[in-house]
Parts: sequence; structure tokens; C-alpha cells
Amino acid sequence: MKERIKEVLATVLKREVDDATSQDNCPEWDSLHHLNMIVEMEMAFDISFEPEEMGQMKSVADIERLVKQKLGQA
Amino acid sequence: MEYYVFRNMTVERFFGNLAARFSGYGEITNIPECDRYIWWYMAPIGPRPADTAAEIDSYATSLRLVLGRIGSGKMVLALTMEELFGIRTVTSDATLSRAVERYNRTLRDLEAQDSRLKIIDFRDFIRRFPAGESIDWKYYFLSQMALNPRLAKPFADWLDNRIRAVELKRKKCLVLDLDNTLWGGILGEDGIAGIALGGDYPGKAYLLFQKYLKELSRQGVMLAACSKNNLADVREMWHTHPDAVLKEEDFVALKINWDDKATNIRELARELNIGLDSMVFVDDNPAERSLVGTALPEVCVPEFPEHPYMLPAFLKELAENHFPVYSLTGEDLAKTAQYKANMLRDELKNECLDMGDYLRSLEIRLKVREADDITIPRAAQMTQKTNQFNLTTRRYTDADLRAMQTRGTRIFTLSVRDKFGDSGISGLCIVTRQATEAHIDTFLLSCRILGKRIEYALLDHIVGGLKEEGIETITAEYIPTAKNSQTVNFYEQGGFSLLDTADDGTKRYMLRTAGRTENSSDPYQFE
Repeated sequence: MKERIKEVLATVLKREVDDATSQDNCPEWDSLHHLNMIVEMEMAFDISFEPEEMGQMKSVADIERLVKQKLGQA
Repeated sequence: MEYYVFRNMTVERFFGNLAARFSGYGEITNIPECDRYIWWYMAPIGPRPADTAAEIDSYATSLRLVLGRIGSGKMVLALTMEELFGIRTVTSDATLSRAVERYNRTLRDLEAQDSRLKIIDFRDFIRRFPAGESIDWKYYFLSQMALNPRLAKPFADWLDNRIRAVELKRKKCLVLDLDNTLWGGILGEDGIAGIALGGDYPGKAYLLFQKYLKELSRQGVMLAACSKNNLADVREMWHTHPDAVLKEEDFVALKINWDDKATNIRELARELNIGLDSMVFVDDNPAERSLVGTALPEVCVPEFPEHPYMLPAFLKELAENHFPVYSLTGEDLAKTAQYKANMLRDELKNECLDMGDYLRSLEIRLKVREADDITIPRAAQMTQKTNQFNLTTRRYTDADLRAMQTRGTRIFTLSVRDKFGDSGISGLCIVTRQATEAHIDTFLLSCRILGKRIEYALLDHIVGGLKEEGIETITAEYIPTAKNSQTVNFYEQGGFSLLDTADDGTKRYMLRTAGRTENSSDPYQFE
């Protein structure tokens, strides 16, 4: 799952992504790309994030945590 | 091919396949030089149909304004509007639908009058999706995205297709014969003095024909010469004939030789790297036309007028059918821009054309207040999120701002509302002071309100207020980042003097309030 997350993120940000990638160390990860990333993640895993959750996804680790949560609930 | 998109909603995601830049939301004051323009305004979402309808009507006016200011050779692609969401409060209330219909009709009317404008039917795309799928409300509220972001990829593909369809109709190269086409007579036989070009009829008609062709080439249509002649003779004619309007430099290629024209045109296509289907061949000789038409069926070969006095009408039809970026009118072609302006003025007597009038008609109201407990969180959020129109990009938390206020720092918030709605707090200015000197620590505006010179109105207002409080000098800074380059000259334009520029690009400014007068030319009222 983490690999898929990184794949999606890399496509959205158009750059290399590793386990440590986050909004802090990645200038391409701005608000517009964040939104695109959310949409792509939702489509990739067939889940839906609430607006409150979207702000919590600031790194690969965050995304993984939230996606797991969503899938666990599904 | 670079596009500039005029829009009122968040649509960046939908232009994945194209190189595009975007206007501010509903912003039309800035029209950068670009290859092509796209106009995509979507029906606003609101509870009162009358308000929404009025806003939709204003979009049509905005489009006219924009068309009046875009250069004559530029293509503008406008998408029609579809009603994606509307509650019928009264079962027979069709206010909104009528407004959308009116808007789309205006688009079509404008297309008929202005050959730069191509209308793309948005319904053709959206009708593929069930009603519930066209909007994802989450994204509407988060980022003003009126269209479901999941539709981005299908939309991008569909748009590509539509654009290609529009392009196919437009030809790229006009291949011209010379003898009895660009002048009367045969150069090789009649000599330079013997051909009819300029002077009385028919030379007069050929002269006008050449002038129109030159204008066409200025609009980006390539002209190529294909004639059975001696190149040296033609060159001499170009050098010496006083009425030669089209000369060697006006042609992208010359095929002046004794080979057959079909071969020449095939070579032209290869040299210019264009398809045969984007070429138009114009020759007075029916035999030549027939030969090329048969050998190269993709090349367009129109009939040539029998009489020179029919040339202007011929060219008008040619331009409209095959080179629709440029449309001939009965008026003087050299004054196309002026004509367009007059046309707009005649038609829209009651609507405002002047940018000042337009801004005034929006009835923008500005409110500057000091941040309080309720608004501090919003102010802090703005410092965290605003990147583009942000002079110093300093990030503050609620706690930071409160602490600053207790130390005497002034935190000014700007609220903006206009005829159509309230943008809420959209600007921030943080000022520190010491005795008679003040310093602007932070000055930022939300991208939603850019393009209306509100930033200058805010600056003036703050400066004016500080002056009244006894401040004599105000200093400010510009700290460059990857995102705020549009503000690099803001303070200069706002009347501040540049003190110095550091190696990293940081600029420091100063203003003496004594010399400062109120700038009342901008149409803004402060409440």
C-alpha cells in the first residue's frame, strides 16, 4: 500500500518520492497539488476523505495512516 | 501552444494536458500576451436565482470587455455554461435557466461577429455523466471547484479533441500564383512597366488585393509564392516596382520555377512541415487549379474570380472560410482594432466598457479593521496560507499575533465585498511602530481579490491612517520567494522609495508621509 501511495504522490508532484517525503521538505507540495493528491488517493483506493482529514495528511506516513484507517472501516 | 484561462472557479486540474496559466477568480483586468485564450465561466451556486442570474449576465459583459482588449490574431475558446445545481424554489421559476440560456446565446452571437472566438459546447461533455456526479460538494467548499475533480481526466481528453476539431478548420498556408493573380498581366511578357499594379483599374484592384493579403500574413497566415516565372525577373520587379506591396520578405517560401505546381506544393508542405490539408492554393488559371486539385486532393483550391473588381469579396470569403482568425469587414482593414472598439460601443451603450467603470459597477466595498479575538485566527491562517501576494511571507500563529498586539503592533484585516458576494477577510497588514516611525512587517492579499488594484487602495488607506496618527516615516520590505515574484515592484508602484536591494533580492523601502497625498482616482469606498 505504501508503494501505491508513493506512486500516486510521485505522479501528482511530478518528482521522486520516498518514505520521508512531506510538505515540509517538498516545495512542489503546495495547496493545489495537495488537493490533486487527495483526489487521486480517493480514486486510487476508492475511499473518501472528510475535509477535516485532508489537512492532516502532510507526509507519506500521514497518508498511509489515514488510508489504512479508511480501509479498516470499509 | 500556451493558454491563458479566464475563469471563476478552480479548474487548474482540468487542464492537465495543456500548458496553461490562470486568471484570478472572475478577474479580467490582467490580459497577458499568450498564444490562445480560454474562457470558462461556470454558473455560480447560490440560493437566490435572481442574484445568480445577475452574476451570470455580468459574465457576458466581462467576455465582451476581454474580447475588446485581446489582439486581433488570437484565438479565444469559450465554453458554454450548464446549470449544474439549482433548486427550483417555485416550480415555474426559470430565472436561472433563462440566464444560462441568455449567456450561451450571447456567446454564439459573439462568435458570429468575431472570428477569433470559437464556442465549445460544454454540454457535449457534461451530459455523459449522471446529475449527481457532476459536483462533489466537498471540493466546492474546500476550493471553489464547481466541477467534480474526478471528471478532470475525461474532461482534458474531451477538450483536446474539441480543440483539434476547431484547429482543423483553420488553414496555415496560402499558396499564391503571381501573374494575373497578384497583378494584371504576365511579368515575363509585359515587363515590369507593363503589368497592372496600382494606378487605375485593374491595377488598383490588384493593389488592394495585395494589401489585404499582407494584412492576412500579419495575422499569422503564411504566404508562399508558386509561379512559373524567372526568379530573377520577379526579384527585379519586387525591387523596382513602386506599388509592390507583397515583396520577397512577405513570403515564407518561393517556388518560382518551371516545374509543375503540384510537385512544388508537395515540396512546400515538406519544407514548411505542414500538412497538405492546411494549404490553400490560389491561381487564376483553371488548368493549374484543376491539375493541383486532382493531384493533391487535400489542398483546398477555390475558384478564382473572373474580374479583378471581385477580388476583395473573394478574399473576404477566403479569409472567413479558411483563415478564421482574421475576419474582413466592409470597413478599412487597417483599423480593425478601432472598428472592434466602435462595434462594442455601439452595441453596448448601456453597459460599461471602461475598466474604471467596470470596477465601479462591481460596487466593491472595503473594510479595514484591527484584528480582534474573533478575527485573529483568520488573520493567522492567512499568514500561513498566502504565498503569492505576500510581500514578506512571515508565518504567524494565533498566539504570535496576540503577543504582537499586546506589544503595540497593529494588525489590520481587510474585508472585501461586492455586488455579488462577500469574500470576507481577504487581506492583512501588520504594522509595528516606534515613535514617529512605522514599519510594515506583513502585507498580503488573497488571490481571490487580485487584479482590481485593491492592494493599492489598502496600502493608501493604511498609509493615510498612519499619517493621521502622526507617523512621519514608514518603512517596508520585499523578501523574494519562489511564489511572490508578482509583488516585486509593488511598493515602488505604491509610491515608496527603494532604499536598497540586497544580493538575495530583498528590497527595503521608505516613505515620508509628509509628501503623501490621497490617491482618490481608484473607485473604492472604505466602510
